[in-house]
Amino acid sequence: MRAGPSQEEIRRHNLGALLRHVHLGGPTSRAELTSRMGLNRSTIMALTADLTAAGLVREELPRETGRAGRPSLVVRPESARVYVFAFDVGVDRLVAARVGLGGAILDRRETVRRRGPFSLEEIVGPLAGFARQMRRKTRPDTVCVGAAAAFSGGVNRGNGVVRFGPNMGPAEDVPFAEEMTRRLAFGMPVKVGNDANLAALAEHSRGVGVGCRDLIYLHGDVGVGGGIIVNGQLLGGHAGFGGEIGHMVVNPKGRLCGCGSLGCLEAEVGERTLLEAAGRVPGAVSVATGPGAVPVAAGPGAVSIAAGSGADGHETPRSGADGRRERLIGRDAVRAVVDAADRGDIVAQAALSRVGDWLGLGVANLVNVFNPEMVIFGGMLREVYLGSAAQVRSRLAVDALSASREGLRLRTSALGDDATLMGAAELAFAPVLADPLEALARAGS
Amino acid sequence: MTPVLELRGIDKSFGPVQVLHDVDFSVHPGEVTALVGDNGAGKSTLVKCIGGIHAVDSGEYFFDGKTVQINSPRDAAELGIEIVYQDLALCDNLDIVQNMFLGREHRRGIVLDEDTMEEMAARTLESLSVRTVKSIRQHVSSLSGGQRQTVAIAKAVLWNSKVVILDEPTAALGVAQTAQVLELVRRLADQGLAVVLISHNMNDVFAVSDRIAALYLGRMAAQVRTSDVTHAQVVELITSGRSGDLGLTNGVSA
Ligand SMILES: Nc1ncnc2c1ncn2[C@@H]1O[C@H](COP(=O)(O)OP(=O)(O)O)[C@@H](O)[C@H]1O
Ligand SMILES: [Mg+2]
Repeated sequence: MRAGPSQEEIRRHNLGALLRHVHLGGPTSRAELTSRMGLNRSTIMALTADLTAAGLVREELPRETGRAGRPSLVVRPESARVYVFAFDVGVDRLVAARVGLGGAILDRRETVRRRGPFSLEEIVGPLAGFARQMRRKTRPDTVCVGAAAAFSGGVNRGNGVVRFGPNMGPAEDVPFAEEMTRRLAFGMPVKVGNDANLAALAEHSRGVGVGCRDLIYLHGDVGVGGGIIVNGQLLGGHAGFGGEIGHMVVNPKGRLCGCGSLGCLEAEVGERTLLEAAGRVPGAVSVATGPGAVPVAAGPGAVSIAAGSGADGHETPRSGADGRRERLIGRDAVRAVVDAADRGDIVAQAALSRVGDWLGLGVANLVNVFNPEMVIFGGMLREVYLGSAAQVRSRLAVDALSASREGLRLRTSALGDDATLMGAAELAFAPVLADPLEALARAGS
Repeated sequence: MTPVLELRGIDKSFGPVQVLHDVDFSVHPGEVTALVGDNGAGKSTLVKCIGGIHAVDSGEYFFDGKTVQINSPRDAAELGIEIVYQDLALCDNLDIVQNMFLGREHRRGIVLDEDTMEEMAARTLESLSVRTVKSIRQHVSSLSGGQRQTVAIAKAVLWNSKVVILDEPTAALGVAQTAQVLELVRRLADQGLAVVLISHNMNDVFAVSDRIAALYLGRMAAQVRTSDVTHAQVVELITSGRSGDLGLTNGVSA
């Protein structure tokens, strides 16, 4: 029989638990920590003292006044001192950020990516450059305790090898984690996770899904990604490729998906489909409403699309070289469809209604299989859900089992555009939250 | 779960015209109740009865399970009912903090200093994840429609309201601001408040509501769980007062 945990193991565990509390919950009084962690006051004091000595937290009098009685000291994370690098590789953008303990974004760099096949160098080069720029600006007393990236595509859990998603390039294995680690050369490994998986975890730990043990997150970024959390744990599957909700086939006679199948959820509700149905992709046929016969979409890359969004997020349709008006893409384009529908554009309304119908069908299937407490719509699906909720929920009322949908809450992402990035940050913070002193020692060496 | 607010058998006439007929309506904490109905169905009148602006002709009014008398807006406010009317009662020439405390300080007999008011306002906006206003010392006249709604809603939260009623808060807003207001509405309910949302937009209604109450010609046609109905059923309830087994029979609640 294995002996019980040693004193040292218990202390290590408690240090991590306390740090996690203030990392996720923000400044917390000792009294609150005592009751929430179920430990006695003197233990909390000792743990806090250790974490303070290590420079991970700081104790302060609470700022708020006005309440009677002696205020309890508040334990705050050392957000400005202890940080990680978080990266987000989306179809349209590359983001690098320095995120402080507690979850504050301290610094960030972002570049718009022109759509088309990715090469490893095109991703790693800018991200590593951003990280070095940001690192040069840090004060000498700061410490980087981890680095991680959210990647829009399949990620092998074992070795961080990624497989480009259908919207990113040819389906080949690429040693992304290894290359990021080598190029950063910060003396620590860069971890990698699927972007929607990580966003699901971020919403679960510090977003709209706090307190939910079973939730499903759907992420719209050209295609549709997903993260399924079952009993508090991310469902990774055998090799880490689990949760690809976007490739659940909902319409076998439907539209051609980038993955080669017909009628995947992402082929029926993705950005391209919505824009085509709304008559907003040049050269595309407007798509009939309702789940009837629909024209099969041209393959990816067949239509010329330009990044039409200015840095300020305003709509800036531009003229192509051939004089044809190139259209908005991405979030701005989706928002423009919802906006048009709201102002009475019948084609836009029909497009949203059709997409909402398929989205509702997909969610109904998920609800019947997983009986989640919450389904979260993130990325572009936030706009799509808000603009087609009547259709989505009508489908659910009809197609989901009443027992499975009872108590179901449908929500939009609380972390918004930063959900994937924050998910990467959480992945990077994992070691310091598991064993604070050891992780810090490793980072300092 | 007991409703925080419940009306039973409300009748209301303006002169010879009866606008509300035997209306039952209940509102639950932690939920968004959408109040829908065609123009002239009586939604705003019902809300004004709840808020003590109109006296009802007959009917019962329960708050937290107890019978109460509402004779003025002040009575409703004392109970913790906050109503954001279509024409927002914000003062353009005052800043956000001043607006959030307007008409409140003396009522509760508290005198607050500027710093405390500023901090309370800031913390309330932060608790609602409102990041759209640049400075809380900004004049309300410089705010967009969505930001004004946000301030009006935040005011309700600041004063620990239990019931917040929003009469068509997204009617004049663009899509981006509508999304923000809808998410704020949802967050209020998720924090435990009872929220009533009046809206003509069925996507807004389905996006955030837990229940739908449909008024038809001054009668409550049905109050249903949003998860149990389809868009088509709700439209039928609004336009004809009934849909299948739901709704009015011969103009009377089933
Ligand atoms: N103060 C009033 N005096 C007379 N009639 C009124 C008054 N307020 C509302 N009404 C009438 O009551 C009916 C319901 O109006 P209202 O409650 O504003 O409907 P809704 O908000 O559902 O559009 C309408 O026929 C309206 O003309
Ligand atoms: Mg009205």
